[in-house]
Amino acid sequence: MARTKIVEVPMALEIPVGPQHPALHEPLLIKLYVEGEVVTKVEVNTGYNHRGIEKLCERNNFYRNIFLCGRVCGICNTVHANCYVRAVEAILDVDPPPRAKYLRVLAMELERVHSHMLINAVMAEVLGYDTLFMTIMRDREAVMKAKEIVTGARVLADYMMVGGVRRDIDEVKKDRLLKLLDKIEERVRYYRKVFEDDPTIFKRLVDVGRLSPADIVSHSLVGPVARGSDVGTDVRFEDPHEAYPEIPVMKLIKRDEGDSWARMMVRWDEALVSIEASRYVLQHLPQGNAVPDERKLPRRFPPGEAFTRAEAPRGELTYYVLSDGKPTPYRVKIRTPSFNNIINGAFAFVGACIADVPAILVSFDPCISCMERVVVVDPETGSKRKLSLRELATRGVSR
Amino acid sequence: MAELPEKLGLLKKYAKKVYEIKVSRIVAEVEVGDIPRIVEELIKSLGKESLYLTTLVATDLPEQGIIRLDYFLSVLPEKKVVVLRAAVPREDPRAPSLLNILPGVFSAECEVYDLMGVVFEGNPHLRRGFFVPVEVAEKGIHPLKKDVKV
Amino acid sequence: MVHSFLREVLRNLIRRPATIEYPKKETPVEPDFRGRHYPDLTKCIGCSLCALECPSNVITMKPIPKELADAAPPANRRRIYPSIRYFGCIFCYRCVTVCPVRAYVVSNEYRLASDKPLFSDELSLSTLRRRKGVGAQ
Repeated sequence: MARTKIVEVPMALEIPVGPQHPALHEPLLIKLYVEGEVVTKVEVNTGYNHRGIEKLCERNNFYRNIFLCGRVCGICNTVHANCYVRAVEAILDVDPPPRAKYLRVLAMELERVHSHMLINAVMAEVLGYDTLFMTIMRDREAVMKAKEIVTGARVLADYMMVGGVRRDIDEVKKDRLLKLLDKIEERVRYYRKVFEDDPTIFKRLVDVGRLSPADIVSHSLVGPVARGSDVGTDVRFEDPHEAYPEIPVMKLIKRDEGDSWARMMVRWDEALVSIEASRYVLQHLPQGNAVPDERKLPRRFPPGEAFTRAEAPRGELTYYVLSDGKPTPYRVKIRTPSFNNIINGAFAFVGACIADVPAILVSFDPCISCMERVVVVDPETGSKRKLSLRELATRGVSR
Repeated sequence: MAELPEKLGLLKKYAKKVYEIKVSRIVAEVEVGDIPRIVEELIKSLGKESLYLTTLVATDLPEQGIIRLDYFLSVLPEKKVVVLRAAVPREDPRAPSLLNILPGVFSAECEVYDLMGVVFEGNPHLRRGFFVPVEVAEKGIHPLKKDVKV
Repeated sequence: MVHSFLREVLRNLIRRPATIEYPKKETPVEPDFRGRHYPDLTKCIGCSLCALECPSNVITMKPIPKELADAAPPANRRRIYPSIRYFGCIFCYRCVTVCPVRAYVVSNEYRLASDKPLFSDELSLSTLRRRKGVGAQ
C-alpha cells in the first residue's frame, strides 16, 4: 500500500537527484529535503533497473546460470561468476586445480584495478575535474587490454567454469602481461599521489560524509566504505578461498579518517596491492591443466545448499544456491554490496550540503545494476514512472 | 550435530538443531519469534561493532507449507558466518522486524516483503513497488513465490 | 600539487592523441578475442547441444537444404544444422566449448554492425558448398 505524502516543514525544499542525471551513471532517485543548503531528510527510490535475474536463474540449468550471473554487473562480472561457480563447486564437492585458482585470482584482481580506477575517475568527474577523469580513463585502457589478453574480452570476461577457467595463458602472454602491469603500476602510483596532494580534491573530499565504525557495522555497510572507517573486514581474509591464502603480498588496507577522502585512498591502495598480487600470480603460476573439458561436466546435481562470499571491488558479495536434485537450481539468492551500501547508507547524507551529496554518493561506489536484479521477466516494464514517498532518514541514527 | 564456537554458546538455549552447511557455516534452527532476542543478546555479549546481517534469504517451500527464512549473521571477531534458520507458515507469513536492533536489515526486509510477501512487524517502511515494477505490484502478487508465473 | 598536474596536462598537449581514428586505423584486437563464430557443417552431427546450452537462446536448428544434404557427415542423421542469430548472441562461446566434435570455427571478427539482422547460415552452408565443389556464393 502506498504511503501518502507527508506535510513538510514549510522552509524545506525538495530536490530530486535522478533518475536521469549527469552525475549518476545509472538511474536511481534520491530525494533530498533541504533547508537552505543543508540536507535534512533523504529518500532513496530504486526499481528502475529491474531485470528479474533470481527468478530467471530458476529456469536455466546450472551452467547457463554462470553466464547469467556474470551479467548482473558489468564491472564486477568475474567476481559474480566466481562466487556462483564456487557455490556450485561446493555442492558438487569439486576442487579446481591450483593453476586454475591462480588464474581466477589474476582475473579478479585485474578487475579490481580497473573498477577502482573507474570509480576514482568518476569521482574526479563529479567534482568537475574533467582532465583528471580523462587521463585516468586513458590509462585504464591498459588494464582492459590486460583483461583481453587473459580472458578474451575487455569487459564481460566469461572466464569462470565449474572445475577451472575457460582458457589458459602461455609464456608470450605472460611476458606481455608483466610489461603491461609495470606500466599500469607507474600510472596508478602517480594518480594516488595526485589524490593525496591536490588541493581541489582535498577541499571537496576531506571531512565530507564522515561515518563512525559503529554506524557502519550496524547498518551493514561493506567494502571500502567500511575499511575507510577503521572496520577491518575483507572477505579475502575472512573466508580464505581460491589462491588468496598463498599470496603473501595481500594486505588488508584500512584507514581511520572515515570520510570520503579516506574511502577513495583505500581504493587506490587496494589497486596497488592488486597489481602486486597479479605480478606474484604471474611469476608463480603452478604447472598443470587449468581448463576443464566442458563436455564432460556432470549433468546430475546432488541436493544441497551452499553459501559463498567474495570480495567484489565494491564490497562483500554473497551467493546462496539451493539445489534439490534437478538440473536447475531451486533458489539462487544474490546479495550485492551496492544493495547494502546505497539503500542503508542514505543516513550519511543528512547534515551535508547539497554539493557534497554527489561526492558522498560516488564514494559509496554505487553500482545500480548490481543492486536490482530480482524477479519479473516482463520486457515492457523497464522503468517506473510513478514514485511513492518513503521516510528513510528519520530512523534513529547515532550521531 | 556441529559444535558452536564458545562465544556463540548462548545460541544453545534457543536452537532446536545445529548443523553445518557448505562452506563451513554453522546453522542453528530457531523459532522465528526468538530471533530479535537472540540478536540482542549476541550484540550485548560481542559488542556493537562485531555483528551485522550479511544476507536474509527467503525460500518458498510449498511442499512443506512454509517460507524458510535464513538470517546470515557475520560475526567479525570470529570471522565466521552464523545462520539462524526459521520458518513462517505460507498462508500467514509474519515475522518480527529487527529494524530497531540492527538498522542494516532495512534493505533486506523491504526486499523480502516485496518479493516473497513476508510481513515484518515493526518495520514501518515496508511497501510494494520497492523493487518490483508497479504493474506487477498492482496485481498483488509476490513474484518470487513458486506458484507465480511472470 | 597544482603545478605537478599542470606538468601532466602540458605533456598531454605534446603527446599524440590517445584516440584511435577508426575506421581509418584498425583497433588492435587480440587474435583470440571472442568474435564471430560459425559451425563447420562438414563436422557437425546435429546433436543440438549448442542450441540447448546457449544462455541467450539464439541458436535454432534448421534443416539442411536438399541439394547440400549429402555433403554433411553421415552421423548427422536428422540433417539439421545450427543457425546463430548474431544480434542476440553474447559471444560467451558456450556453444564452441560444449560441441562434442569441435565443429565451431572461431575468429576475432568484431565488426558486426549492420542494418539487417545477421545470421550464420551463409557462412555455415558455404562449408558444405566448398566440399561439394560448388563455388562459394
